[in-house]
Amino acid sequence: MQTTQGTVVQQLATEAASEYLTFTLGSESYGIDILKVQEIRGYDCVTRIANTPAFIKGVINLRGVIVPIVDLRIKFNVGEVTYHEFTVVIIINVLNKVVGIVVDGVSDVVALPAQSIKPAPELGASLDTRYITGLGTLNDEMLILVDIEKLIGSDELQIVDSTVENTQKEAVNL
Amino acid sequence: MTTPKGETSSVDLNRFNEVFFEECAENLAEMEQILISLGDREPDHEQMNAIFRAAHSIKGGAGIFGFQDMTVVTHVMESLLDRLRNREIPFVPDMIDLFLEAGDAIAMQLAWHREGKAVNQEAIDAVRAKLQRAIDAGAPAPELPPELDEGATAREEELLPRRCRLTFTPDAEIFARGIRMESIISELAELAEPGEFQCRAQLIELPDLAELDPERCMTRWNFALLTRASREQVLDVFMFVADEEQLQIEDESVDRRTPAGEPAADPPILPPPGRRAYDNGETAPGAFGRRGGETESSIRVNVTKVDQLVNQIGELLITQAMLSQFAVGLDPILHEALQRGLAQLERNTRDLQGIVMSIRLVPISIVFSRFPRLVREIAAKLGKQVEFKTVGDSTELDRGLIEKIADPLGHLVRNALDHGLETPERRVASGKSPTGTLQLSASQVGGRIVIDVTDDGAGLNRDKIIAKALECGIPCSEAMSDEEVWQLIFAPGFSTASEVTDISGRGVGMDVVIKNVQSIGGRVQIASEAGRGARFTISLPLTLAILEGLSVAVGEEKFIIPLNVVIESLQPQPEQLKSVNGREVVQVRGEYLPILKLHRMFNLEAEVTEPQQGILVMVEADGERGAILVDALLDEQQVVVKSIETNFRRVEGSAGATILGDGRVALILDLPELFAMHKKL
Repeated sequence: MQTTQGTVVQQLATEAASEYLTFTLGSESYGIDILKVQEIRGYDCVTRIANTPAFIKGVINLRGVIVPIVDLRIKFNVGEVTYHEFTVVIIINVLNKVVGIVVDGVSDVVALPAQSIKPAPELGASLDTRYITGLGTLNDEMLILVDIEKLIGSDELQIVDSTVENTQKEAVNL
Repeated sequence: MTTPKGETSSVDLNRFNEVFFEECAENLAEMEQILISLGDREPDHEQMNAIFRAAHSIKGGAGIFGFQDMTVVTHVMESLLDRLRNREIPFVPDMIDLFLEAGDAIAMQLAWHREGKAVNQEAIDAVRAKLQRAIDAGAPAPELPPELDEGATAREEELLPRRCRLTFTPDAEIFARGIRMESIISELAELAEPGEFQCRAQLIELPDLAELDPERCMTRWNFALLTRASREQVLDVFMFVADEEQLQIEDESVDRRTPAGEPAADPPILPPPGRRAYDNGETAPGAFGRRGGETESSIRVNVTKVDQLVNQIGELLITQAMLSQFAVGLDPILHEALQRGLAQLERNTRDLQGIVMSIRLVPISIVFSRFPRLVREIAAKLGKQVEFKTVGDSTELDRGLIEKIADPLGHLVRNALDHGLETPERRVASGKSPTGTLQLSASQVGGRIVIDVTDDGAGLNRDKIIAKALECGIPCSEAMSDEEVWQLIFAPGFSTASEVTDISGRGVGMDVVIKNVQSIGGRVQIASEAGRGARFTISLPLTLAILEGLSVAVGEEKFIIPLNVVIESLQPQPEQLKSVNGREVVQVRGEYLPILKLHRMFNLEAEVTEPQQGILVMVEADGERGAILVDALLDEQQVVVKSIETNFRRVEGSAGATILGDGRVALILDLPELFAMHKKL
C-alpha cells in the first residue's frame, strides 16, 4: 500500500476516466462502477432465507420487487458486522438482476483516470483477485475497485442460479 | 426482422396489421377445426359456408392489407369451395387434406409476414397447383363466369388488358366511416396499365351553401382503366367500402393498341354484376369482417395491458392489506366510519380482483383444439387407429399458463401415440379393439387445474424403464415403487423408444415436459397399468398471480401456506404425539401424519419447538399429508405471488414470495417440496 504513496494522480486526465462510487468496509475503501448503482438506501426489514450462506442476509421488498441482500462485510471478512440505523445498502443493477449489498458507509463518487488504476497483486485473500479490476489511488488513499458484475454473477455468491438461470425467469413473474 | 409490407395503399396500415394477423390466425384455426371435425364426411351446408367464410375473410383481409401473396392460395381455395358449395364439383374425401394443406400454406405465409419466418414457396405453389387441379378435375363447366378461373390465369399474367369502366356511387356517410377516396383511387390506379387510368368525379346533388355539410359525400366517381387485373381484383379494391348496388362495373376486352377511352359521363346502367362469392345473407359486403350482423360484444386488448392491470390489482391488494393492518390498532368506536370504509374497500378490491383475474382466464379448448389434427396425422403416419376425445374443453385457466402448457401437452400426446398405443394388429392380438383411445380431459379440482392425457395402450413397461435408466446412468433400483419408476422417464436423457422416430424418442422430451410444467408451478403424475394403458396427470395452479393464503408465524418470520392445501389446524394433545423411527408424527382421527417443523427446515429460531406448544396445520398436497408446526396462525389473506427468482436464485421449499401489509417479504410454502425436504432431513 505504501508503494503507491508519492504517485501523483493526474486528476486532470479525465478523458479515460470512469466514475466510481466509493464505500468502506471496515477500514478499507472500495469502489464500484457508478453506472451499476441504482440507488442507496438504509438497511431495513430483511426477510431471512433458509439454508443460505451467512453473507446472504435475505430479501427485502423494494417497491414491490423482491431483492436479495448480500453483506459484503461478511463475505470479505472485513469490518464489524453490526446493523443499525446508519447501515447502508447499495442497490445495484447487474445481469438484469437487482441486488442489494450491505456496506459500512458510502463515501463519494470519484472519477479515476484509467492510468491511475494499477493491477492488483495476488493476495490470496477472501476477496479473490478475479473480482478486483485494479487498485486505484485517490488522495494518497488506496481504493479497491471491484468488478461487481463478476462478483454478483459468481458461483461463490450463489445469487445467480447457474442451472436454471434464464429458463424460469419469466415463469412466475406475473 | 424484415417483414414485407403492403405497398398498395398510402394509408399507414402497419398498426392494423397485427389485428389482421390475429384475425387471420383465428380464421385459420376455425377452418382447421371444422375440417378436422369432418373426418372424411362431406361438410354440410353450414360447415361449408363457415369454411368458405374463413377463407374469404383471410383473402379479403390480405388484399386490404396488401399481402398479395396470401390472396393467391386463398383465392384458388375459395374458387374450389365455391364450386363445391354449388355442387359443381363432387366432394372427394381427399379434399379435406387438401384444404388442410392449403391452410398450412396460408399459415406459413402468415408467419412470414408476422415473424419473418422463412417461407417455402415450392410448397405453396404445390398446394395451389393441387387446388387448381381439383377445380379442373371437377366439372370443366364452361358456363362458369370467367372470374372463377382467373386465379389460374391472372398469376401468369397472361390476361389481356381489358378496358374496364367503373362507376362508384357511395352513400353520403362514406367519409364518416373513415374511408379515404384517395387511397381507393391510388389502389385502382395501380391495377391499371401505366398511363391508362382515368378518374372523374361527378356531383350527385348540390345543396345550398348554408346546408352544405362538408363531411357528406355528394359525388359519384367514374373510373376508366385498362387493366390486366381480374374483375375480382378490381372489385376487391372496394371491399369493405362499397355495397354491391353502389358499384357498377363494365368490362370490355380491348385491343392492346386502343388507348383508354374517356370515361363515359353516363355509363350505361347495367344490372349489378354480383359476385358469386358473396351470397346474400352470408356476408353483407358492406359489413365485412362481421358475421351475420352479429354485434360486437368483445374488444381486443393487448395482453401486456391486462398484465399491467393484474399487477396494479396486486399492488392495490397490498395497500389495502396495509391499511387494514393499521386500522386494527385504532379504537373502533372513535373510528367507526374509517373502519366501515375499509371494510367496503376490502370488498371492492376483492370484487375487482375477481373480475380482473377472470379477464385472463381462457378456455383450455384453445389448446385442445390443436390436437385433433396432430393426432390424425401422427396416427396416419404410424399406421395406428386412434379415437381422440376431449373432455372439459370449457375449463378455464390463466392465459399465461395456456401458452406454456401447449408444448408439454403436445409432447405427452405424441408420446402416447408413439409409445403408448399399439398397432391395430397388436391390439387385436391382446384382445382389445383395433382402435385405440386417446383422451385429453381438463377439470378444476380445488384451486388447481388438472389435465389428464389418458390412453388405453400398452402402459409403461417397468422392467424396460429400469433397464434403460441403468443404461443411461440414472440411479435407480428394483426396489423402487411403481410411482418412482414412472418418474424416471422424466430424467434428462431418458428414452425407451427402441428406435428414434421423428415423432418422439429423441430422448429430449420428457425432461423438458417436466421442466416446463414445473416452471409454471405444476406437477406431473403418472398412473399406468401394463396392457391397460397409462394416464399422465398435469396439475397446474389456477393462476400464477394471486393466491389465497394462510399466514403463519415461526419465530420472527412469517410464511404463507396456500389455503387450498390446508385441511385443518389444531393444538395437539400429548397423547396424539407419537414417534415412528425417531420421527415425530401426530395421530389425527386414526391417521398418522408426519410433523414438519418449519423452524428446523428453515433454520430459524422459533419460540415453539415442541408440537404441544404450537399449532399444527394439517396439509395435503399431491396425495401426501403432513402437519406443519408453526408458532401461531396470523391471518387468512389474498397474497400476490412475486418471483424470488427475478433477482435471486430458487429458494428450496418456496413457491415464490409475497409482500405483506407491513411491507415485509414472506415466503410462500411449496408443500410437495417441503415434503421432499422433510424426507431428506
